[in-house]
Amino acid sequence: MTLNLKTSTVETREQRLGTIIGWDGTASKLADESAFSRGDCGGCGSKARRICELEGPFTQGSVCSEQMVECQAGNIRDAVLIQHSPIGCGAGQVIYNSIYRNGLAMRGLPVQNIRFISTNLRERDMVYGGVDKLAVAIRAAFERHQPNAVFIATSCASGIIGDDVESVARALEAEFGVPVIPLHCEGFKSKHWSTGFDATQHGILRQIVRKNPEKRQDDLINVINLWGTDVFTPMLAELGLRVNYVVDMSTVEQLAQMSEARATVSFCYTLGTYLATALEQDFGVEQIKAPQPYGFPGTDAWLRELARVTGREAQAENYIAREHARVKPLLDELRPKLKGLKGYVATGSAYSHGLIGVLREIGVEVDGSLVFHHDPVYDSEDPRQDSLGHLVENYGDVRHFTVGNRQQYQFYNLLQRVKPDFIIIRHNGLAPLAARLGIPAIPLGDEHHALGYQGMVNLGESILAALQHRKFHQDIARRVSLPYKQSWLAQTDPFALSRAAVA
Amino acid sequence: MAILALKSRPTEITPDADKSGPIELVRYVCAIGAMQSAAAIPRVVPITHCGPGCADKQYMNLAFYNGFQGSGYGGGPVVPSTNASQREVIFGGADRLRELIESSQTVLDADLFVVLTGCIPDLVGDDVGSVVRDFQKKGVPIVYAETGGFRGNNFTGHEAVTRAIIEQYLGPWDGVREQGLVNLWSLLPYQNTFWRGDLEEIKRLLESIGLKVNVLFGPDSAGLSEWRDIPRAQFNLVLSPWLGLATAKLLEERYDQPFLHLPVLPIGARQSGEFLRQVAAFAGLPAEPVEQVIVREETRYYNYIDGFTDFYSEYWWGLPARFAVIGDSAYNLALTKFLVTQLGLIPAKQIVTEDPPVEHRDSIREQFRAIDHDVSVEIDFIEDSYLIHDAIRKADFGHKPPIIFGTTWERDLVKEMKGSLIEVGFPASYEVVLSRSYVGYRGALSLLERIYSTVVSHSA
Repeated sequence: MTLNLKTSTVETREQRLGTIIGWDGTASKLADESAFSRGDCGGCGSKARRICELEGPFTQGSVCSEQMVECQAGNIRDAVLIQHSPIGCGAGQVIYNSIYRNGLAMRGLPVQNIRFISTNLRERDMVYGGVDKLAVAIRAAFERHQPNAVFIATSCASGIIGDDVESVARALEAEFGVPVIPLHCEGFKSKHWSTGFDATQHGILRQIVRKNPEKRQDDLINVINLWGTDVFTPMLAELGLRVNYVVDMSTVEQLAQMSEARATVSFCYTLGTYLATALEQDFGVEQIKAPQPYGFPGTDAWLRELARVTGREAQAENYIAREHARVKPLLDELRPKLKGLKGYVATGSAYSHGLIGVLREIGVEVDGSLVFHHDPVYDSEDPRQDSLGHLVENYGDVRHFTVGNRQQYQFYNLLQRVKPDFIIIRHNGLAPLAARLGIPAIPLGDEHHALGYQGMVNLGESILAALQHRKFHQDIARRVSLPYKQSWLAQTDPFALSRAAVA
Repeated sequence: MAILALKSRPTEITPDADKSGPIELVRYVCAIGAMQSAAAIPRVVPITHCGPGCADKQYMNLAFYNGFQGSGYGGGPVVPSTNASQREVIFGGADRLRELIESSQTVLDADLFVVLTGCIPDLVGDDVGSVVRDFQKKGVPIVYAETGGFRGNNFTGHEAVTRAIIEQYLGPWDGVREQGLVNLWSLLPYQNTFWRGDLEEIKRLLESIGLKVNVLFGPDSAGLSEWRDIPRAQFNLVLSPWLGLATAKLLEERYDQPFLHLPVLPIGARQSGEFLRQVAAFAGLPAEPVEQVIVREETRYYNYIDGFTDFYSEYWWGLPARFAVIGDSAYNLALTKFLVTQLGLIPAKQIVTEDPPVEHRDSIREQFRAIDHDVSVEIDFIEDSYLIHDAIRKADFGHKPPIIFGTTWERDLVKEMKGSLIEVGFPASYEVVLSRSYVGYRGALSLLERIYSTVVSHSA
């Protein structure tokens, strides 16, 4: 499938990839039903890559695409993000400011506030339109901050009233000579928030990435990540390669030079699939098609593929051998301490595939996981990136593998089914429930924590620290009341309501 | 051009551009943020009819990255949401809402559900009232409020939720008033980072002079039984510059219930004593026992202040003289009053940021003009942080480093000005707040500790 960069609106994940947000079964069954292996489930009609999805009447607040635009386009250091919306969408400025500041500090970059401007749409604007206010806000962005790019995040409100964001953006881009980039991310348009990653990357590809690069930087690797600590620079330096971190905390120039790089990698295919595939399709920057770099087999294969593409096989083999020798004794020390423990992973989709592998490497039992959505295929459509297949093949099946867009009410039943000693999470809203059941969480704010060879050691250490937290959680568990009915808490099937709706 | 409004509106909408400009770095959220006001009532669960991100945005920013308060029994990630999609935008979302309300009763253990609408149903015109009324007729404890983000902020949303519960949940009433029972309408839950501890201290003060308090929100509230008791109270106490006045007036109309409006939240002995005397007089309590309470509180308070005096009088390395407050009118007024009248600090700039309704602005200005017998303050109403920071940079802080009472947004600014920052309002992302309070007798002491620990710890 060709990614269409000609129109300003990105195709949603469900349109491109057949993304689902409700499913329950074994990991191997989901891998089988996904396009990488078979195509379709046989019961859903002719459209390929269709997996039968569970949909129920009860849903709790999820996350929207606009939030993912905020946390990407809003965290570029020399750009401004305009939120063309009523003030409520601007609430997200608070969290993404805090994450941005801490991310900058962690990466050793100057700490500063985010630069977000809300157009502050009100009732009058719903009737007469908000484009004038959009123009005022864009001008304010230029006058106040002299940015090298201005992004515009649309909203449910601006989408429904049909504001012509494109024309305003074009006119002001021409006037200021700096990219003004509309990102169409109305929350209602996609059932999963990861479409917001794609919307941001789509806008960057269309209006920032240099179209006809005059030079190639043959030792430069685009690394699609978030705010994590800098683990890629030392790792890629072993292969004589330099890192170009995108999108968070990068500069507009770092984004522009993506087309000059040798290859693109990512810590998570959920995040990076669109950008990496488009860079290869339109600019010939190769996407590394390998398992994600988690655990020994994943990291080995990932490094070897990167080395093959960049012609650095000897250095890679040398590095792999040294790291194996360094890390294996450390893991041998950790494994007895972790023996008999059971973990549960509740994170973004592809990221979870990687983390489960790491847990099994260090001897932790995993028989359950919740992923917030599932992409039956990534944009590359290359089976070497089949992260779920890689997990099942290398580490075996996961008995209770669940897809759900972060529904806390189901999480109770999921945990009862598995009864883990700890959980690993990334998004908010689930750990507080687990905590009240006496289960400690490891929040992976630093997404690179478990990556590569050292990541296995890191995660093991974090588990041991988190287990001590159990004292707190077990104490609180005796003293709280949950907002769920006893009849629901007694329910063994987390999807009982969905199945009743179908029946 | 005439516009046919579907529902009655407070003002005519005209094509003239309104004066609300862009807002950089927000200091309040939208009306549906009042889902956390509903969640602030024990065992009440909000149900949101809105896009998939609205509920998450409001609570993560109001309740998490603002003092890390926690989102409450029925708030935050518990909140049901229709997560409205393309289908609800095109075909309407009433059926989806009905389905969600029904299933919410299956899953959630709540005393009352409060349905709040977002931009999507308010724009496509879902008849949410009729959906909710069907459930009300069946005896389901449920009310609804229209809180689409373009209609207002979380302050007006809070008033809408309060009004919804009073009008739709409380019936007519013709019982006997209970003397000494008071309904308290004060700080906006969650928006004000310290609301829990503050309401606890205010309740403690009122109880100390023999009143019974329906505190209505927060851990010190008994929940809906207090709300059902609202009409029985002797009077309503509005303790804030303007928030709660509309509710008090509604209750006056509906139940012929009087109210006392005190714009200044008391901080420190002077204000707290005055507060207790004013409330006691309105409630018709005899003066003598109240004076005894004040003496007892002041004895404890001034004992600690006596110790603090050693520090305040001879700390070698200089203490700030001029201060600015950037925040909601309630805390801004309360802090300015305390800092000016009790500590003798000089107000350099006071900026009110919550966009108070126009009709209340003059009375807020008057309060600041009368801050002390020898000090009068002219305030600004600004919501855009870029303009706010500009105004702070231009303010005269004299020769000493300033002390700024503000939010996380001021962290860079204060570094640039080499001053001290006390995060006292939304968003306070670098404060962890449990029961800490800055009001009353006890809160004032915590505030002094916070202010001067910050200043002293910066010094070397």
